[in-house]
Amino acid sequence: MTRQSQANRSRRRIGVAIKTGAVAGTAVAAVAASLPLAAHHSFAAEFDSTKEIRATGAVIEVEWLNPHAWIHLNVTELCERPAAPRGSDDVEEEEWACRAPDPDEGSAWGFEMGSPNGLMRQGWSRNSLKPGDGATISGTRARDGSTNSNARNVTMADGTRLFAGSSENSGR
Amino acid sequence: MTVALSGCLIALGWSSGAWAQWTPVADPTSPRDAEGNVIMGAPTPRTADGTPDLAGLWMRTRSGPPPEEGPGGGVSLEPTQAPVPLDPDGPPIVAFFEAGQNMEGGLPYTPWAKELRDQRAELNARDNPDARCLPMGFLQFHQQPQPRMIIQNEKMILIEYEANYGVRHIYMDGRELPPQGEPQPWWYGYSIGYWDGDDLVVETNNLRGADEDSPYDAWLDVNGSPHSREATITERFRRPTFGHLQIDFTIDDPKAYTRPWTVRLDQRLLPDQELIEFICNENQQFNRRIQLN
Repeated sequence: MTRQSQANRSRRRIGVAIKTGAVAGTAVAAVAASLPLAAHHSFAAEFDSTKEIRATGAVIEVEWLNPHAWIHLNVTELCERPAAPRGSDDVEEEEWACRAPDPDEGSAWGFEMGSPNGLMRQGWSRNSLKPGDGATISGTRARDGSTNSNARNVTMADGTRLFAGSSENSGR
Repeated sequence: MTVALSGCLIALGWSSGAWAQWTPVADPTSPRDAEGNVIMGAPTPRTADGTPDLAGLWMRTRSGPPPEEGPGGGVSLEPTQAPVPLDPDGPPIVAFFEAGQNMEGGLPYTPWAKELRDQRAELNARDNPDARCLPMGFLQFHQQPQPRMIIQNEKMILIEYEANYGVRHIYMDGRELPPQGEPQPWWYGYSIGYWDGDDLVVETNNLRGADEDSPYDAWLDVNGSPHSREATITERFRRPTFGHLQIDFTIDDPKAYTRPWTVRLDQRLLPDQELIEFICNENQQFNRRIQLN
């Protein structure tokens, strides 16, 4: 079983439906849900830097794959805000609007990280986060309205914060 | 920059114990201080025949102007490198997203190149070859936040780019460039090199072009500044100190630019480090995802 199919299985196991924005519930949404999630991409074509997200939950799986690693999180609290100063997530708490995950969206959120080589140079390894570990991840939502985001920062349960290697400034 | 620095410190201070998996191996030939740190300002290293030795692992660095503004937030993963002082008499410093950002009036596009560049930008650079794990234009390759390794001997110089497993072969055996259009145009073109004093001069032609090849060809920068099959590129590599590599990049392409133009980029040595495998196509899904959108 591939790592991705394990991730898909995990998503099914926790009973979530992955929404793809305007076409939620259609056949297109079903196809999207079955696709592997990692992507080497043009950032701007895929993610909307004006839509920020911060999610807290437990790790479902880490996909340590090129060209981008992914962290899948079973989200218990979801915070959103329209935009933030460039390159910063140090903003006042009240700027975030926080809520429980929308049942229609489901609680399984995917966060695209940097590439494993770059993550390794920043101190990550494939074992840095394990299934069940608590984490808070901030990032940028996908343009397609799906439960995917491009991660900026990851805060471990012990408060340690690491950059996620957003692709936003590397041009990919 | 402050954010990036603090991030590095946080990463270095992280004590999970799970990450020390790529042990640095000290190069015994590098000049070092009493603490064992490589002396980046030491003199240019030279090969047995006296030519500068450009070999090493190199990472882009800032030279002079403040960091360019990307499209929004986000912090990339590259190691923080000491900036290089700006030479006010040198060519404009290149920028990653827009090669002509620091050039007065920007790049001298012909109407054909300007229209194509604008089309590419309007599509949010979705056809950037980097997004397809394909070879990039040289200025993108030189400025990728993933390092590149130069391997040098008398007959050939290789530049191995960690990004998208790019490899350029530069023939140093005295041969001449083939006529434009004679061999099949390649993503990396055909490159010859020779020494002009302490400068390595690399000339490249027979490149695939944006005019006759795919939408993914000839992206000099992230925003899609193109070149054509008529392009000839001249790069002058120099290593003023042990830890500093400087490249002056000139392109002559009458179909895409009304005049030849030159930009400069600076790199810092990453001592005692190595390339890390990056098999971009391992799980590349952008094509399918973007088509769904």
